[in-house]
Amino acid sequence: MSFDSPFHVTVDFSSSHLIFPTIIAVILGVLFISILITRGSTILATVTNGTWWPAGIDHARFFGTLALTVIYFLAMPSVGDIFPNTGLGFYLCSIPYLFALSTLFLRERNRRTLMIAGANALIAPSVVWYILSELFNISLP
Amino acid sequence: MELLSILSPLFFGLVAAGTVVGIIFGAIPGMTATMAVAVCLPLTYSLGLENGLALLLGLYVGGISGGLVPAILLNIPGTPSSITTTLDGYPMTQNGEGERALKIGITSSLVGGLISLAALYLFAPALADFAIKFSYIEKFLIIFFALTVMAALSSSLLIGIFSGFLGIFISLIGAYDISRGGNGELRLVPEFLEYYLESGFSLLPVLIGLFGLATILIDAEHGMKDAKELSKIKIGGAPFKLSVFKGQIINLIRSSSIGTFVGILPGVGGSAASILAYSQEKNFSRNPDKFGKGAPEGVIASESANNGLTGGALVPLLSLGIPGDSTTAILIGAFTLQGIQVGPLFIGNNPITWDAMIIAMLVANIVMFLVMVFAIRHLAKVVTVPKNILFPIILMMCVVGAYTINYGVMFDVWTLLIFGLFGYLAHKIRLEIAPFIIGFILGPSAEIYFVKSLESFGTFSIFFTKSWIAVLLWVLIAVSIAFSISVARKKKRIVD
Repeated sequence: MSFDSPFHVTVDFSSSHLIFPTIIAVILGVLFISILITRGSTILATVTNGTWWPAGIDHARFFGTLALTVIYFLAMPSVGDIFPNTGLGFYLCSIPYLFALSTLFLRERNRRTLMIAGANALIAPSVVWYILSELFNISLP
Repeated sequence: MELLSILSPLFFGLVAAGTVVGIIFGAIPGMTATMAVAVCLPLTYSLGLENGLALLLGLYVGGISGGLVPAILLNIPGTPSSITTTLDGYPMTQNGEGERALKIGITSSLVGGLISLAALYLFAPALADFAIKFSYIEKFLIIFFALTVMAALSSSLLIGIFSGFLGIFISLIGAYDISRGGNGELRLVPEFLEYYLESGFSLLPVLIGLFGLATILIDAEHGMKDAKELSKIKIGGAPFKLSVFKGQIINLIRSSSIGTFVGILPGVGGSAASILAYSQEKNFSRNPDKFGKGAPEGVIASESANNGLTGGALVPLLSLGIPGDSTTAILIGAFTLQGIQVGPLFIGNNPITWDAMIIAMLVANIVMFLVMVFAIRHLAKVVTVPKNILFPIILMMCVVGAYTINYGVMFDVWTLLIFGLFGYLAHKIRLEIAPFIIGFILGPSAEIYFVKSLESFGTFSIFFTKSWIAVLLWVLIAVSIAFSISVARKKKRIVD
């Protein structure tokens, strides 16, 4: 894009994919600086007085959820490759994922709550896998 | 007579079944009307055009309506268009008015759906003609207007606008869409991700990540402590009376009309309707401060607008072949399956199908109302399920939704994780998610409209001088920003 005058422009088609992202990036920069100017003191006070993340959060549940989810996502296609086009990667990985996550989220772990978590981990993926993969033939990992 | 032969018990049964399944899809967080229509689309192969459309339109109406259940009870919008329902619906639930909020939402949904349906049937050709006259310039300004309105709705105008532009920026990742006149060149993509991000991030995994995973991460951060309180929510605390709509007729009609109008504008569908209606109701309210704290008029505006969308979004689809939102985009697939081309000639060439669609939408709205009013206590049980049971299932369904939306792309599942983390981070640094989402949805269209306008006219001044509609839109943009600044100043004065 070249400027012939303050308002008149000529758009070069070969580089037209950069026009809008550049304009938006400039606007974002201006807005970011405006936020720093108008709220700088508040931000500084928060940074100097506040407790730094991840202090004060439930580390086990937060990072446990993240770790289990990443493992689940990594495992699904790997297991799915062993049983291609069956959705079993999703099914076989969802059972331990649901059980582990349910157990992680439990605040009182006893025989009854663990049994419910186990039943949920077995039933929910089975129903979803059967309806989507078997009944509707929808592709699952 | 030919129409009567189509209106068989099977036709009505499919509408009812579609509506009920759609409500369930909409009510389960992470599952949407779009997904319901996508999942059931293959079933229409063997049903024929009218019966197939009966099922899909039931799913559409049910899916949009069902979104209010988790929005009100869980603070998670079941569909993107329920974003603003959470703002007042969830506080009402926290005040023990869950059932009241749900029934207000359901009744508003019915009114919105019927008004939009009447508009679709009576004024479709005229409304379509009006929308067709919009050039790229007016379309770009409408997107800009929608963004400023949404920013005005935010707790801070500056943060709201920043969030909206950030959404636009992220939506531009990938190729400059060649099918819409772009040059097909990639931008903002690291080399190792070029294969995955050629078409940018898919919308549904982004939405599921922001509204599903991020919500669960925020809860996990707090240790799922409120699991017991969740089961103690008194859904049936306050009784629902129709008198709550006293003084709300203008709100109902205005919000339904906004939903219908926004639905008509191609690409400006989804949550823009409910956000516009909500902010207008807030702007006109004598007590704007009570919004966000459990104001029934907020739920009325949001729900009548998002169901108003259902009829409106079908106008560009049936008259231009352009979908009004992501769900109607999938509906094109139903026509394609049956070998029917939607476009300007569709209604004239297929009057029976057109009438059958109107009847299906009418029946779907009525079924939706009856099912949700009489079975709301059963539907609402989703919140009585303990979080340690519900949230892992939601996460699993989020994965299913993300994976299946593009027929089996694992990168979409990682997109869900990326935007789940982004949503969590945005919550921590107080970015506004609603303007971000709208920027993300409308960004690619805004780019095309903006660049093509410059290519055609070669001057920035055209955005101000093209037509009286452009001038009117600039006035509305200015009013929206001025109003937001005025409200912020008033708040500051009160605080001082």
